[in-house]
Amino acid sequence: MSEIFPLVFANDEIRLLTAVVLGFLFGFSLERGGFGNARKLAGQFYLHDMTVFKVMFTAILVAMVGLYTLVGIGWADMARMWVNPTFMWAQVVGGFMLGIGFIMSGLCPGTSIVSAASGRWDGVVTIAGIFVGTALFTVAVDVLPGLESLYHAGEMGVSILPELLGLPAVPFVLVVVLVAGIAFVGAEAVERSFRARRTQVEHTPRPVPLLKFALAGTLGLVLVVGLGLRPAPAEEAAVRPVAGDPVSSLELAERIIAEDPELMVVDLRENAEDRVPGAYPVAPDSTARAVLAGASAATEVVIVDGDGSVDVIPASWPAGPTYRVLRGGWSGWDAEVLTPAAPQSSVPSEIERVRRQNGISAYFSGAGTQSPQVAAPPPAIPSGGGGAKPKRGGC
Amino acid sequence: MEAKKYWNPYLAGALLGLTLLATFLVTGGGLGASALPKRVVALGALAASPEWTAANPALGGYVEAGNPLRNWLVIEVIGVLLGGFIGALSAGRFKATVEKGPRISTRGRLRYALAGGVIMGFAAGLARGCTSGQALSGGALLATGSWAFMLMVFAGGYATAWFVRRQWI
Repeated sequence: MSEIFPLVFANDEIRLLTAVVLGFLFGFSLERGGFGNARKLAGQFYLHDMTVFKVMFTAILVAMVGLYTLVGIGWADMARMWVNPTFMWAQVVGGFMLGIGFIMSGLCPGTSIVSAASGRWDGVVTIAGIFVGTALFTVAVDVLPGLESLYHAGEMGVSILPELLGLPAVPFVLVVVLVAGIAFVGAEAVERSFRARRTQVEHTPRPVPLLKFALAGTLGLVLVVGLGLRPAPAEEAAVRPVAGDPVSSLELAERIIAEDPELMVVDLRENAEDRVPGAYPVAPDSTARAVLAGASAATEVVIVDGDGSVDVIPASWPAGPTYRVLRGGWSGWDAEVLTPAAPQSSVPSEIERVRRQNGISAYFSGAGTQSPQVAAPPPAIPSGGGGAKPKRGGC
Repeated sequence: MEAKKYWNPYLAGALLGLTLLATFLVTGGGLGASALPKRVVALGALAASPEWTAANPALGGYVEAGNPLRNWLVIEVIGVLLGGFIGALSAGRFKATVEKGPRISTRGRLRYALAGGVIMGFAAGLARGCTSGQALSGGALLATGSWAFMLMVFAGGYATAWFVRRQWI
């Protein structure tokens, strides 16, 4: 089982098209929240309108809880997620500067787009300023060595707070939710006390308590589900694909006859009557680990199952050896090695194939004195090329 | 048409959060805004001098990546424009105006907006992202630097608010 998210697009145009849809929702929810209005945003910094904090932290909580829950149940792969790398000092200084620009302009880069889109000239002018500032930084970071070292200062690579603090992700997320919940209550109180003294741009409707409870309940539920489901998929997902190509029955047979020291055969079937000679029965996984402890990095482990359909092995199996599946499994072995073949045509290569197969078959079905014939070079074959190589298997 | 009221902030935040979550799941990255100006600057720099662009600490990565504007975050900004426009129009809020407090002239307000924009463009370059890409998206991922950035944005805003109060209140 592998994670579904993030999605992988075969077609880049379709991936880019999702940008229009998600960008639309981004702009729409910002507008509905009042983020196109610089006066309303500025209210955050005069404490009479805490909309910026409320919208932003609700969004962070919803996305964080959703993402970490999906990671917890094994649907999303954090390793494939692009996480902003940390350059601590660059981000501390840059953040402070951006805060200064924010209160001067009343908008941030994202909200200036919404402001301009809703007809506000201050938004248009802010966007123009952002372009100038971006170009200015690009030139300045090239010219000023001090700025360039600040740009790289405090590099920590991809750093996630729970990992940095050595805490498991789920309890950490829960703590962030609780702290934010308390902060929401605080923000409402601050807003109420300052609102009385300041002229209000436009009152946002008083939050319905029911909505707050519903939101808190949903977040809690999602977290509990995330916590509860966490251990189960970890075991289910503890498999990895078989890396090596499948082995044909005849190749395996030849290597058994030649007593290949790097060959190990394991049989996944329970209570089978017959097994490939030398195969270790490993039906309960605990025996498999003991058997595979004897395998080295050079060992090729051939896996036998009923029909060759197995394509994953438990992740607990050692990583050193190469694992290959017996093509067709036991049925393939039975049909190709234990059953003498009849030639399908009189082509020399086909006759040679049948000869080889019957030799191997005789060896394994008990008449085992013909083994030298198998190893010996084939008699002279008039046509070269294809005849020299035995055509393997039946597929 | 009388302008409708803004949504309950928790409701707008929930929709924004679901949009951000969907973006994580679909693209493997977050939302952004300052990628557009940065990539427009990269395009201009590439046209002027590819060597200079390659040597630039902030733009080096854009040289071999093809057209800098063929990018998810750049196209996303077009969507933000559309979403903001439709949102304002449908709520009766679309209006050619300048948002300002009662004690400042329009010209004065626009000067502040321009200066604030320049500072934010510079700051977003330095911090490798703005309130959308760092604070919102990086914040939801619990990225260390993004949380430091977010706290400092609020610190910078509160530290400066008193000096520019004439503009707003």
